[in-house]
Amino acid sequence: MIGMTVAAFYERARERCRLRLLSHSLHSRSRLVCAEINRPQLALTGYMEDFLWDRLQILGRTEVNYLEKLEPRERGKILSQILGFAIPCVVLPRGLQAPEPLVLLASQNEVPLFGTEMETIEFVSEVSAVLEEAFAPATTVHGSLVDVYGVGLLLTGRSAIGKSETALDLVERGHRLVADDIVTIRRRRSAILIGSGNELLRHCMEIRGLGIIDVQSIFGIRAIRGFKRVEVEVKLQEWNADERYERLGLQERETAILGVTIPLVEIPIFPGKNITVIAEAVALNYLVKAYGYHPAARFSDNLLEVIRRKRALSRLAEGDSE
Amino acid sequence: MDGGRVHEAKVTVCNVPGIHARPAAILVQRASLFKADLFLATRGLTVNAKSIMGVMMLAAETGTELTIRGEGPDEREAVEALCSLVASGFGE
Repeated sequence: MIGMTVAAFYERARERCRLRLLSHSLHSRSRLVCAEINRPQLALTGYMEDFLWDRLQILGRTEVNYLEKLEPRERGKILSQILGFAIPCVVLPRGLQAPEPLVLLASQNEVPLFGTEMETIEFVSEVSAVLEEAFAPATTVHGSLVDVYGVGLLLTGRSAIGKSETALDLVERGHRLVADDIVTIRRRRSAILIGSGNELLRHCMEIRGLGIIDVQSIFGIRAIRGFKRVEVEVKLQEWNADERYERLGLQERETAILGVTIPLVEIPIFPGKNITVIAEAVALNYLVKAYGYHPAARFSDNLLEVIRRKRALSRLAEGDSE
Repeated sequence: MDGGRVHEAKVTVCNVPGIHARPAAILVQRASLFKADLFLATRGLTVNAKSIMGVMMLAAETGTELTIRGEGPDEREAVEALCSLVASGFGE
């Protein structure tokens, strides 16, 4: 089902936005379907053509003052016209008194009416955050998410390639597990990916041959994390002699999750290779680059410099035989 | 990528306790016998059928309609095997 019921919204936003219900019931004819909010303003003057009725409506001081100035009959008429739309819900910020007969009409039309003591601007920013969180684009990825030295590494690769085992090894070395097997990723603002686990699975993981283990109960609270920004995808692959793997690291590969581009490191695996140490190196290398130092580029520059110097020296020595 | 061969089928969970731990393990073991990538989907959630955690996460109760999708060399066989396993109620 698309959208969020007003009751579910109230549950999420009640504390954060200090909401209290002023009408009779939380039942609404419509669900909230987007993160945008609306102030009805012109609709109150009778111009309903472009009225964005499907959003949460805020009646601020301007709207309430305007309504108070109207003749009671006129006010009742415009309010019943507005509430005739299947509005999800209406909020009165800054402890404003509901103009008569708003409470009655809201209850009759099944439009939940909320009040809050918050200032309008403060309320708008809080409620937008709640709605954006609820409507953020999300996806699930088959893989493990581990916080390695503060860098969110998303381990991916085909089933049974050793993602969980690598994650367990990383935890053993003091890193923190966010989710194993199924990672839910949400996009915050335009370019931040936040990964988290599943409530049912918690921080459990399956280790083949052993079964299900609970990382938190074995390693304690320091070994886990509720959510983490996803910063690098580490893709584990079977070693393939025909594949050309990155040897320099000058060219960075990328992948896109929910339209956000992050670096991708593909690691071929074969017996005797320590993936955990490589994963740590991936995280550290990411940090080093984030601080403005690019080891591969630096190495390449140094090499060019040495070649240049050698050429200059040999030119100097040309024809000069002792 | 074997020419992107995909096969899909729907099946309803019929054993009364739903897909709890034991049926999940049986399903995953069966799925792992095939080469194809296998997925289970319900209520907008898609999980890898070869992952026990994923299958358990579905918490599919009796009556849930599952879509089973296979991609790869033996996708048809694999999807049919999983469908009949779910339809058989895991012998419960």
